[in-house]
Amino acid sequence: MLQQIFLGDPARRFAWASLILTISLAVAPTKDFFREWRHYQRQYSKFIRNRPDAAALRARATTGIHQIWLPQLGVVDRCTTCHLGIAEPTLAGAAVPLPFRAHPVIPHDPEAWGCVVCHRGQGSATDVAAAHATTVAWEQPILPGRFIQASCGTCHQDDLPQAPRLDRGRELLARFDCIGCHKIAGVDRPAMLGPDLTDIGTKVSREWLYKWLKEPRTLTDANGNQTVDGVDTGEPQMPTFRLNDVELRDLSAYLSAQRARPIQPYRFDPRVVATLSKRKDVVDQGEARFRQMFCSTCHSLAVTRAGETTLIGGDIGPELTKIGSKVNPDWLVEWLRNPQQYLRHSQMPRYEWSDTDLYEVTQYMETKLTDPSLLADVPHWGSPTDAEVAAGRRLFIDKGCASCHAIAGVPPQEDFGPDLSFLGARNVSQLDFGAARIPNTLIAYIQAKISDPLSVNPMGRMPQYHLDQESLDDITTALLSLTGPPATRGMETLIIARPHPEFHPAGEFGRLYEQYKCYACHQFNGFGGTLAPDLSYEGSRTTRQWLIQFMENPQTLRPTLVLRMPQFNMSEREAGVIADYLEITMQSPDVDETLDPKEFTPAMAAAGKELYEKKFQCQSCHTIGSAGGYVGPSLSDAGNWLTPGWIEAWLRNPQALVPGTIEPKESFSQQEIQNLTAYLLALKQGGPASRAVTASSSGGAK
Amino acid sequence: MRARALLLFALLGSALLTCCGGKTAAPAKAGALENAYDYETDWNDGQRIIPLNYQQAQGKRIFYQQCVWCHADQTPAGPSNRSNVTPSPPLWNDGATLNPLSDDYLGKVIGQGGSAMGKSAMMPPYSNTLTQTEIRALIAYARAIAVPPYASPVGKR
Repeated sequence: MLQQIFLGDPARRFAWASLILTISLAVAPTKDFFREWRHYQRQYSKFIRNRPDAAALRARATTGIHQIWLPQLGVVDRCTTCHLGIAEPTLAGAAVPLPFRAHPVIPHDPEAWGCVVCHRGQGSATDVAAAHATTVAWEQPILPGRFIQASCGTCHQDDLPQAPRLDRGRELLARFDCIGCHKIAGVDRPAMLGPDLTDIGTKVSREWLYKWLKEPRTLTDANGNQTVDGVDTGEPQMPTFRLNDVELRDLSAYLSAQRARPIQPYRFDPRVVATLSKRKDVVDQGEARFRQMFCSTCHSLAVTRAGETTLIGGDIGPELTKIGSKVNPDWLVEWLRNPQQYLRHSQMPRYEWSDTDLYEVTQYMETKLTDPSLLADVPHWGSPTDAEVAAGRRLFIDKGCASCHAIAGVPPQEDFGPDLSFLGARNVSQLDFGAARIPNTLIAYIQAKISDPLSVNPMGRMPQYHLDQESLDDITTALLSLTGPPATRGMETLIIARPHPEFHPAGEFGRLYEQYKCYACHQFNGFGGTLAPDLSYEGSRTTRQWLIQFMENPQTLRPTLVLRMPQFNMSEREAGVIADYLEITMQSPDVDETLDPKEFTPAMAAAGKELYEKKFQCQSCHTIGSAGGYVGPSLSDAGNWLTPGWIEAWLRNPQALVPGTIEPKESFSQQEIQNLTAYLLALKQGGPASRAVTASSSGGAK
Repeated sequence: MRARALLLFALLGSALLTCCGGKTAAPAKAGALENAYDYETDWNDGQRIIPLNYQQAQGKRIFYQQCVWCHADQTPAGPSNRSNVTPSPPLWNDGATLNPLSDDYLGKVIGQGGSAMGKSAMMPPYSNTLTQTEIRALIAYARAIAVPPYASPVGKR
């Protein structure tokens, strides 16, 4: 019947066939007319029609597919077909509906760079779902704005303060020693990751090792939450390996048997011990000494106030709240006397201890910095058996411990885990999600691998990290930025390799520089820590006499500073050697060394005082005596501290001497600079000069 | 004969399919924070998180380097210098004070210093230290964190 109607005779057949052919031919133009992007372009012209700036907007709005083509980056980007207003400043703000809103201010011109360079997604797609979809396994799913800084990092491989999340993520990658197991292009393995365990058996007990391996955290706050171990992210550098009891038994046996060099207990001067052991305040004295020496600049202690436990102190060294329950007392004394003898790469300075100080401080640490219940739930197995030690060694290798820790008889395991250099460019189809119930996206995969690796791969050896969501997002951002070498050769000029300069001065200064580990906190010619001031120009800044006094008794110039220079107990001769080296070598070419303080007259100083107090009101940030602000350093002793050449150069352009310093660059006249310099040079604590200024101020103001 | 009929129907069917098919649901709308470049916690209300765009985020970064010492009551170093300065500088989220001031005026006070604008000389000039872009970012940040909230002149109209 049906056949009869449609195909009854040749004419019918022809008619039907023609009809179908016509419909088929009409499909393409119709479909084209109803395309999503045409809909948006019609909406856009409706949207701008009644605006006051309609004429200008219409003049710039072209119809049809828009395309940004960046052949060097391999980008074909048609997003502006619908996102029509991205470069229209009058369409900024949340009042303008998407997709017509102007792009927020960024350093790159969105019209020149297109969208997918930063946002990822399918640049060549011309409908919304295909361009944006994040759930389907597109090669480049769109990146949520929260992680957008990953895109900055694919090209900008140096530090990028404009992208704080990326920067912090990169810091976390370094902090957690990811490089121990994983290869990351452009990042070198440091000399030491985790501590060298060659003699760990002389330092801690088998019971402590068990506790640490099981749960590498040493603090518990008032709520029973296990917290920090010297890392403000709430995560110790040592991750959790989730070992079972047999594994813990064997590994703790193996490690506690590592005692290549036994500890020889230090022999204190018997007279010191005899005197001090009778005194009741030894521990209090030790605590006072611990504070005076500013151990807290590098080491933190947990302090509980109003039921809340917080860490106070720096994080260069480990947190010490329970150190007395951790280490062998003989080891502690030997460590403080010479840290590098135990751990060659330690950044801990070698202090010059008197027997009294050493005795008091170690007594304090062993008595006060303890937790009697720390090892309460740890089984006591006694001495390790040979079988346990052998099994422990196998575990040590199998778990990849040698990726971060050196130990006698085990070769270092580099590249134990997969190479992460291209992780951020991985296609979702290449990822194994196992049985994990998470969205099939690269971001979800990375976050699961870090916070619950077994959920993705029950057989995996990746340890577990307990990061808060913010840190997890930051580290994910840094990982997403690892897309291998940037896409184009033309971009290479943008990329500055991470600096690895080394500075190893020779001679007597070099020895002291190593002993006191100056570089742990200070920068020298671009090498060193960032906690304390850069000393590359210290010779131009300070007078020799002030430097010597400062090193013998470091008093901070900034009253609000919590972390201060430790007291090294160095001799006057040593301070002199360091001061001489800094004065002669660490010079700035911008500072006129030949300026003589005598050129600055009391009259100039009086005029400078007027400028300081009235015109520029420097006291808003600087203290003289007890009055003033504490944003900048105290200037009470500026005349003894600073050289005239430095003050002049500093007033002319502070950032030229210390890049990034927050003292604003003013536009002082040469006269003003000279007068201010004269005033600052006259500021001397206890010296006669300050009185001279006051006396002559009436005459000098002219 | 039957094969030809089938062919025709198949043609018709596929034409219909290409016309109407191939569309999937648009992705779910994400929260404001999900797409924020950075964020700041409301200074007065620790529960309120304010999303920041790139420019506001740069303002936040520069603020915490240069300005926080006198224009906030809590600083990264702990105590604030605000109490040492008279007259007391406005808090950077003080909408009641800053909202009525135009971007242009604030830019001049920051760039040329307080004394140039008839205000306290304790506010130094920053035009040699910060770029105009950075100063604009600082103002954008102030607008973002303002309490009461800032409504731009365009938005009011």
